[in-house]
This record gives sequence, C-alpha cells and structure tokens, in this order.
Amino acid sequence: MNRGLRVLLCCAVAAALTACAQSDNAQNPIERSVVRIVNHSQRGDWYSPWISQAPSYSGGSGFVIEGGLVMTNAHVVSDTRMILLHLGDDPTPHEARVKAIGHDCDLALVEPVEPGLLDGFPVMAFGGLPKLGSSVETYGYPVGGQRISSTRGIVSRIEKATYAHSGADSHLTVQTDAAINPGNSGGPVVQDGRVAGVAFQALAEMENVGYFIPSEVIEHFLKDVADGNYDGYPDLGIQVANLENPAARRASEMAPDQSGVRVEFVYPGSSADGYIVQGDVLLAVDGYPIANDGTIALDGLRLSYELLLDRRLAGESVPLEILRDGERRQIDVPMLVYSPFNAYRRLYDQMPRYYVYAGLVFVPLNTEVLVALGENLPEHILYELYFRPIEEPLAVRREPVVLLRRLDHAVNGYMSWYRDLVVDRVNGRTIESLEGLIDAIESNDGSYDVFEFAYYGRLGVLDRRAAESANDEILEIYGIPEDRRL
Amino acid sequence: MREPGAIQKSFGWVAWLTISLCVAAAAAAESPYKDKIVALRVTRQQFNEDRPWAKVNPEVRDGTAVVISKELLLTEASMIQNATFIQVEKNGRANWIPARLVHQDSAINLALLTVDQPGFFDDLTPAEIAKSAAARGVVHSVRWKERQLEVSNSRPGRVEVIESPFGSVHHAILRLSTDFSGGGWAEPVFADDKLIGITVTQDGQTATVIPAEILEAYVERAAGAGGEGGYRGFASIGGLRWQTNTDRALAAYLGLEGEPRGIFIRQVPWGSTGCPSLRPRDILLELDGHELDASGNYNHPLYGQLRFDHIVVEGHVPGDVVPARVFRDGQFIDVEIELRGYPSSARLIPWRRAESAPPYLVAGGLVFRELDGRYLNIWGTDWRNSAPNQLRYFFDLLGNAQSPERRRIIVVSQVLPAAYNIGYHGVANLLVRSINGFEVDSIADVERAFQQPRDALHRVVFYPNMTIREVVLDRATFEDATQAILSAYEIPERLRLPDGELPELGPECPAGTDSLLGIQ
Repeated sequence: MNRGLRVLLCCAVAAALTACAQSDNAQNPIERSVVRIVNHSQRGDWYSPWISQAPSYSGGSGFVIEGGLVMTNAHVVSDTRMILLHLGDDPTPHEARVKAIGHDCDLALVEPVEPGLLDGFPVMAFGGLPKLGSSVETYGYPVGGQRISSTRGIVSRIEKATYAHSGADSHLTVQTDAAINPGNSGGPVVQDGRVAGVAFQALAEMENVGYFIPSEVIEHFLKDVADGNYDGYPDLGIQVANLENPAARRASEMAPDQSGVRVEFVYPGSSADGYIVQGDVLLAVDGYPIANDGTIALDGLRLSYELLLDRRLAGESVPLEILRDGERRQIDVPMLVYSPFNAYRRLYDQMPRYYVYAGLVFVPLNTEVLVALGENLPEHILYELYFRPIEEPLAVRREPVVLLRRLDHAVNGYMSWYRDLVVDRVNGRTIESLEGLIDAIESNDGSYDVFEFAYYGRLGVLDRRAAESANDEILEIYGIPEDRRL
Repeated sequence: MREPGAIQKSFGWVAWLTISLCVAAAAAAESPYKDKIVALRVTRQQFNEDRPWAKVNPEVRDGTAVVISKELLLTEASMIQNATFIQVEKNGRANWIPARLVHQDSAINLALLTVDQPGFFDDLTPAEIAKSAAARGVVHSVRWKERQLEVSNSRPGRVEVIESPFGSVHHAILRLSTDFSGGGWAEPVFADDKLIGITVTQDGQTATVIPAEILEAYVERAAGAGGEGGYRGFASIGGLRWQTNTDRALAAYLGLEGEPRGIFIRQVPWGSTGCPSLRPRDILLELDGHELDASGNYNHPLYGQLRFDHIVVEGHVPGDVVPARVFRDGQFIDVEIELRGYPSSARLIPWRRAESAPPYLVAGGLVFRELDGRYLNIWGTDWRNSAPNQLRYFFDLLGNAQSPERRRIIVVSQVLPAAYNIGYHGVANLLVRSINGFEVDSIADVERAFQQPRDALHRVVFYPNMTIREVVLDRATFEDATQAILSAYEIPERLRLPDGELPELGPECPAGTDSLLGIQ
C-alpha cells in the first residue's frame, strides 16, 4: 500500500492563486477547451462523525469533451458543495455539478448547470497510449496564476502504479517529465492534438516526475458510466506470487515451456471464488501468456498481467488459462466488483456512518478511521482491517465496528476500556455491521448492555435503563444533532 | 548546589572548572559514600540482530556499583549484559581493575560482581542495605564521574509498580527527583548512610530506583544460589491480562454486590502466575491475604496504595503457593495460586533476550531466526510504527500465546541473494508456519524439517501475508548452494541453536485463556 515515495495530488489550494486580470490573446483550440475548476468542498470528520470539517476550496483543471461535459480528476471535484467553472477569458464563473465520478480511477465528469454552456467550445478527442520517449504537452491551470499554462515533456515510463486519490487502487499510469504541478490536476496531456491522458499526480521526492492517467483508463471510465452509474473496477480477488524460481515451477508441475504466476489466496466471494483455487498457476489472461515475473508483452511493453483484467467492466468475463495439478484449463471468470476492498480506500462524497449510544461512539472500521486515529494505531485495529481477511477469511466480519471513543458521562465514566476497540459481540450477538450493533442494543430488554470486544477479552457493561435515559442528555451536552447516520 | 551558569558568568570556564574540582575533592574527602561505591566500566558487545552470526562494534559504558560485602559489588544487570570486559575503579584513583561477574538476574535486573585482585576490598566499606526504601526528606544519589565523587540531593517521590526496566518482573519502584544529569546508570541512593535503592533509568530529572527490599532479597537469594534448589529468583504477575473493576455496572452484571472491588481477569497465559488457578472473567478479590480494590491496588504497610503485582514479589519466590479469593460464576471461591517467574523467555514472542545469542539458521540463503523484541528493535525505538505490520501485530496479539505446541515464532528475516534462490530475493520478515510439512517453532525444528524433505523439493510455508505464502527450493542442490552462500557472504556458522532449554511452564491453562486471535 505504501509506495515509499509520497505522491502529491495535483490540485491546488485556490487561496494560493493570485488574482490578476490580463487580456487573453487568441487561443488555440486545445487551450480554449481547457477550463479552470474551483471546488468548494467539505468533508466529514471521522473522529467526530456527527460534524463536518470546515469548508475549503481548491483549484484544478479540466477539458471539454463530447456531450457538453468537462472531464477532470475525481480528486478535483470530490466532497463538493459547489463547483465553479472558469472558461477561458470569461470573467464569470459558471456553476457546475458532478455528472459521474470514479474514485478508484480518479476521474470525473462535470456538467455545467446552465444547459448548452459549452456549445461552441472545441471538443477534445482521445488518442492512444503514447510511445516511450515521445513528447507530450500538458495543459492546465497550475498554481501561480489564473492563465492557462502548457509544458512539454517526454514520456519516461509506462507501468501500473498506485492512484493516490483512493490510496488502494493501481492502474496503468504514464510518467512524464512535463511539469505537473498543483492545479494541473484534471488537465489534458496532449499528443498530436489528441488527449493522451489526464494529469493527476506527482512524486514529492523527485523533481519533474509527473503522472497522467492514460486513455485506456479513461475509456474504461467512460464505458462504465455510459449507463448513468459508475460501478468501478472489478477485481479478480486473488493474491499471486511470481514463479521465477525453477524449483517453484516444478512444485507447480509446470512444463519447461510454461510460465505464469501461482495463486496464493482467493478472497471468499470474489470473482475468482469458485473458479480458481489456491495453488493454481495463472498461465495466460485474454490470450496473453504471463511470464514468471507476472508480466505480459503488451504494445511493445512488459506490463503487469493485471492490466488486462483492468480492461474489463463489471459483469464482463475474462478468459483465463490456468494450470491445476499439472493440467491446463481454460476458464471464463465473470468479473465482479469486490466490495470488501472498499474498506482499504479513502472515502469521498459520503459522510461517516456512526451511532452514539450512552456516549459511546461506534463507527464502521475503514481507512478513514485509521487516518483519524493517526499514529500509534492499535495493532488489533491493523489486524482486523488488513490481516484478518487473509488470516481468517471465513471468520471475517462483513463490516467490523469499532468503539471509537467515549463522550464522558456518569453513565459511562467507569468503563475501563472505551476507545479504539473492535466490537465482537453486543448483548450476546456477534456484530457484523453498524446496523447489527444498533439492533443488538435496541432490541435488548435485559438489565445490562454487554459489550464484548475482540482481542484481549475486554468487557464493557452499561446499565441499560440508565444508558437509555442518559442518551438524549449526552447528545444535547455534546451538541450531537442525531444519534446515528446510517 | 553548583550553578555553573552563574559561576561561569563571574569567573569564566577556567575558574569554574577549578572551583568545581575543589568542591568535588572536598566533598569526596568528607563523604561517607566514597568507600562504599566504585566506578564501573563495562566493555560490551551485542549481537547483530539483523545478521545474527555477527556482533556489532564493542562499546563502553560507565556506571556505578555499590559495595555490599567484603567481596561483592551490586549493580544492575543491564549494565553488564554482553560484557566482554568489566573494570572497576575506587576512591577516585586512576586505576582500572578487572572485575568479574558472580551472578546476575536479568528478570529483576540486578547483578553481583567481585574483584579478584588481593586486597581490593580492604579500603572499601560495605554499604548497609536499608530495611525499606521508604524515606522522607533529602536522600543522596551517588556516583563517581571522572574520578570525582558526585552527590546529588535527591527527593523521593511516589512508589509505584511497573515492569522492571530492562527486566520482566512487575515490582514496586521508587521515583526520585535528582539533580544528576545523565543519570540512570546504577547510581546507588542512600538515606541516613543506608542504601535505599539503585537507579536503573533516568528521564529528565526523574530517576527510577529499584528499592532496598528488592536489593536485599536479591542479594540474599543470590547468596543461596549454590545451595539446595539453587537461585530461585522472583515471582512475577507478568503476562496476566486484567482490567479494573471500577465499573458498577460491570460488577453488578457479574453478580458482585456492594462496592466494586477486585480486578476482572481477562487472559491467563500458560506459564504465568495464576495459571491454571485463575480463569478469564474471574474477579480476583484477595491475594495472599491482601484485599484488592477495584483498581487493583492493595494497602502496603509502608507505601500505601500499591498495585497488587508487588504482592507476589515481596517475601515470595517462584514456587510459593499463596491463597486467593475469586468471584466466579456468581460464587466466592478460595483458590491457591502457585507463583511463577514468567521470564521473557516464557513468552511466545520474548520481549527481552538478556545476553543469549540469537539462534539462527541459514538454509538456501534464507535466514531463519526467532521473532523477539531484540529483532523488532532493529527498526529502532519507534519500531511500533516502523516495523513490518505483521511482525507488530504478532508481537502485540500473540506475544503471550505460547502453548505446548508452539513456543516460538520463526521468521525468515531476509534472503541472501544467489542464483539458487532467485525469485525470492525480496522475501523478508515473513513468519514461518511449516517446512516440508512439519510445523516449526524453533530453530532446531527448522533444521530437522530441512533434513526430512517429502520429495525433491524443500517447501517453506508462511503465515498468510500480502506477498508470498510458500518458498520452494531445490533439494538436490540445497546443501551445496547453502555452503556457497555461507562462503560468499562470509558467514562463519550455518546454525546456532539456543543456549539453553526453554523454561518449564507447568500445567496448562483452561482452554481459551490465550490470545483469542484465530491464527492457527
């Protein structure tokens, strides 16, 4: 998950932009198509989930595509309260809204509220994957001014890499030395007059290393949203290991002319579940033979075989060739979106779910909760989120619930343990979701509410009647408008 | 007290140095402590935990030892661990004299030294160990520093129970406000010319001191080490997981009427004090005749409210059986608890390893070793944030989950790259579940398992992780490849087995008392 180098998303804090009024010269069609986007956003607070963080605003870029839409990065328009488009030298900002957004691929479509606003603007078309060493130009509104800026660079690397916006997804990425700075996000990267990609992130530790999302990923996004919904990338749901060691290939009963990767784990309920088993060797995807290091030869490059899976939409099948017990098999695997992986992603465009009972704050466990807890994260939280699904795949909780903190009150003040605890059982019922926890509490007619926490055998007890009668008072004291958001 | 800043302003550095030397010399001449303590200099060399066949560069540390008889010096064990050479110096005279370790107990963190040079003790006076560390007013922390006797007016603070710094016994310690800078290297503390403790750590101006009661008990038990039963050490409550019972609702839910009291037992690891007599969800109300309050404190006759851990330390040794009263399943039950030492080596993942060498095996370029706190410390003092995730959660969640079937966790710390192990060069810090179908929980197991391949391959299976779950190696070329790798990386020995046997942990505990983690 951690790439070792800090990736910067390239949207700019608009406050850093300096106002300057200049007359605009005649622009080329590409420049006319590129727009400046200001997003007034507001995120939830995952530590005090009933409140919102202070509104903020940031700037990015976008470009006009067919259908009167603007394409940009998801991170440019995430958590929006209001989007304003700045079109060329038009001094009037125009309100817009998100038409579609894909956080796992960091792409979004924005449409102006005013119908036909973009009529007459040049529409940018998409090209293919640029060649290594070829030149590209970036267009956008990086920090330092309000006028469009373009820079030229060389395509220096093409590979699968992590998309920092979600923090958990990897797709095809193109690296360039064209300057990609805060504010460039969402702007087009152009080659031969066509969009080769969308600028989106840079490496903080390296100079002149920027990344753009290639047209292959963009096309996937556009196909996905064609029906009006974004389903997201499906996932095969397996872990694999390379088979570069000859002994490992023999152990997998591979012939000398065979190559591939060994399946180490199949996530229950994933696309592969029922089709692939641990120990299978994945020989080919979509007809492309997989090398022992997990790469395929594609468009003159050696790239991760997973990029072929990336080309599928949810619901489509992918043909695989596998080796099981020395026998080749051809299988078609329907590709599904594997929702448990959502817990590993940063969350946007949604407010945190929570439930406050007798001053105890319960939330579903996800990456945002980890971020809210910051350093010194308890090891059992780490285990529950990341390792339990692979250590104990059949016992994994559908939605782990955490007792995040306590709002002190006489009714709960003596509890020994009251923060950063994974809830195992409440009133005798195993907890699989926040809703399940609420039901276990609200359906209890016993004298006590009994909370059993996972790991270390911790136990918490409340006097039920006292807890129920204290609820409203605690909510009022701590300024919590509602006891839950589901 | 000296005020170097003020003096320096008036007279400059040279003047200040001269004056302070005079003050120190005068103090030493008059001091009742100068013939009761000696300066201690230890050359030590630790093992390289990352490359366990090697040692790191030697280092020298200076500290203090206190004279407790005409042949023995007392200091803290952590001072002399991994020592290659021990020297002492007395009376501020520039004459380092070799000393020798007589006995050490790393669990309580104390050690005895002697000096073989004839007449060494003639002009030294044994310090009398006080009956207790209870003291009021000013006490004196003392050390030799650069051949000057430094005496700090120190003020006793609270007495509390903690896990012994550098040791594993949970016992009472004395917090002391001291004027020493850079203390914490076994400086003795005197009150009314009697030894009330030895400093083991210092954080800012607060020193942590092992109290006289424990010093006296250690010296007495060490003296009897040669007799029947040998050295018996100290009992400890370590390993027991419990929570306070301050919550009326919790106590009422469990059926305990009246004021909340006692502590709620959560886990009783195998080998810990309380195993097998205590059970999860017991409320421990009394131990050895002492009532426990809802915070786990008892009333100590000298120190007042003290955490109950100290009950098993003071006046007891491992093997003693003490009465206890628990509230279990709605009933008051009297049980007997056999006290145990629960040294770090009892844990599935030991926290400390005293001075024993890290066991390891190099096989096919894979470096196998035991997972322990020493290894985690290669990620520095911030290892809880920087060590690999899986090692961290194993340590935290399974550290006390030892069982007869599993006494250690084995880790492949790294792979020494060679053509033989190509494809595995990135393997590091993966936890081993089995080799060639045999579950392994010791380096000896690893060695045996490699000697019993099931077919033409060696198979190393790891606990589930995010990278690779099995390493497969060719059997036919395994021995030659291992030798070539040992040679290429200049590793003198392929294998190091543990120095001694694992501690006996006694009867098993009721099922479910280990960590509840589902890792099998």
